Amino acid sequence: MEVILNEILRFAPAALFNIYFAAASIPIGFGLAILFAFGKGSKNPLISAVSRGYIYAFRGSPLFIQLFMFYSLALSMNISTWKPMGIDWLVLHPLFLGPLVLVLNTTAYTAEIFYGALRAVPHGELEAARAYGMGPWQQFRSVTWPHMIRLAWPAYTNEVVFLFHATAIVYFALPVIGEQKDLMIRAKEAFERDFNAYLHFPIAALYFLAVSLVVFFVFGRIYERLVRHLERAPKIRFSPKWLR
Amino acid sequence: MLDLLPEWMRDGLGDDAAFWIGYLTNGKHLAWYASFQFTIFAALIGGALALVFGLVGASLKNARFLPLRAVGDFYSAIVRGVPDVLFFLFFPLAFEQTVEWFVSSRVCTPDSIAASVAPWPPCPQANWFLGTTEYLLLASVSLGLVYGAFATNVIHGAMRAVPQGQLEAARAYGFSAAQVRWRFQIRQMWVYALPGLSNVWLLLVKATSLLSLLQIADIVLWADRLGAPNFLPAVGLVHPDWRWRYYLALLVFYILVTWLSEKGFEALMRRAGRGVLAEVRR
Repeated sequence: MEVILNEILRFAPAALFNIYFAAASIPIGFGLAILFAFGKGSKNPLISAVSRGYIYAFRGSPLFIQLFMFYSLALSMNISTWKPMGIDWLVLHPLFLGPLVLVLNTTAYTAEIFYGALRAVPHGELEAARAYGMGPWQQFRSVTWPHMIRLAWPAYTNEVVFLFHATAIVYFALPVIGEQKDLMIRAKEAFERDFNAYLHFPIAALYFLAVSLVVFFVFGRIYERLVRHLERAPKIRFSPKWLR
Repeated sequence: MLDLLPEWMRDGLGDDAAFWIGYLTNGKHLAWYASFQFTIFAALIGGALALVFGLVGASLKNARFLPLRAVGDFYSAIVRGVPDVLFFLFFPLAFEQTVEWFVSSRVCTPDSIAASVAPWPPCPQANWFLGTTEYLLLASVSLGLVYGAFATNVIHGAMRAVPQGQLEAARAYGFSAAQVRWRFQIRQMWVYALPGLSNVWLLLVKATSLLSLLQIADIVLWADRLGAPNFLPAVGLVHPDWRWRYYLALLVFYILVTWLSEKGFEALMRRAGRGVLAEVRR
């Protein structure tokens, strides 16, 4: 028991790296995703094609390869570009590059979710807004946005949890600097030292599960707020059926 | 490779094209192309196993007996709650250790355990060496286990989406419970499950890029080796850091696989949805 508690304490700083990666990329990805969702739905064929291509490329390829590609791209441009500009310490740092690639990745996934929600916004309400003489910005603020975010929220919650899970592979592609190790690297190192797979990996899994549950709880409360004006859905009833 | 071409073709190519064909078909590159077999093998076997585990998991979730239902719920909840890469690493390593532990309880003597200095295995005789084949099989099984949990949820939902009237009619005709399940529920479920299964398959395909984490010389590892800067003419073409070009090629490969899979699933959907597609799409 004490071994497990010690292990949990030793992994706590490592979990902060995963949380940092997720927390740094989710807000930026959220904002960019709205732009790309509107871009994909845009009537301008060029904007639409670019957004479509971007979303398809990043959803169709593994994050692992994206991380490798952007890291090696940054490396190959190091001497020609970053060094003369004096920002090589920043661009090549995993704490910058990791969130950068995660933002690119989550933007595509989130944009697809938002685009689906955008298409489900009731047409009649938009027409009514136009009939009231609302400008495009007013339409967006008072009709499109509230509908879109409410429709997209459950899927977006899943995307946030998936992104948090995806932070597990960041340090498999990017260099580990000193003691900056996330949960997976910490677990792998501990395993390579004493070969106790049944201790280290489940503890790391425990952290991922715990944070996922917190995300589900927080986002669930936000969802309740988003749907508070709707007719109340039947409450979840606890009715155990031991033998059906 | 160039030597295989007939004379007139070699002359017609021009030096530039001949040079690139020569570069892209040298031995190292051929090894890279050959390593695609690992990725494809892992995807196909992993996908088949995921479907099997998904069906088993969904049956467990539908079971009448509470402990079985609990196992099904636990499986689909826990495996989906942790990152795929964690389970992907954990399962082969833990499996290897479990086997070694069983072997060690038979072959190890107190003396050999006392003489052993390494933390694991208990004695050198119990060591189980895993090569590429073993790791590839274990990796496929763990891909199947991880994405089987996703498939469990999809199939479970799809089985409940089958119209009750269909099953009732089957029961009314005197089919037994097992017959109703196999001949009606599972037959009709596919059209509801395919969109979800298509997503699971795409996730699984993307997860095959992780094979190099298990010491398999897969496409990612080869791309890294081939693209690394080279300054020795004896080793091959002298070039600076070209890794990003090789990764870009892999990126395009995965996007192509995604595109092909989408086309394939559309065709499957057309076939599974004969007669019911209009009803499902509404």
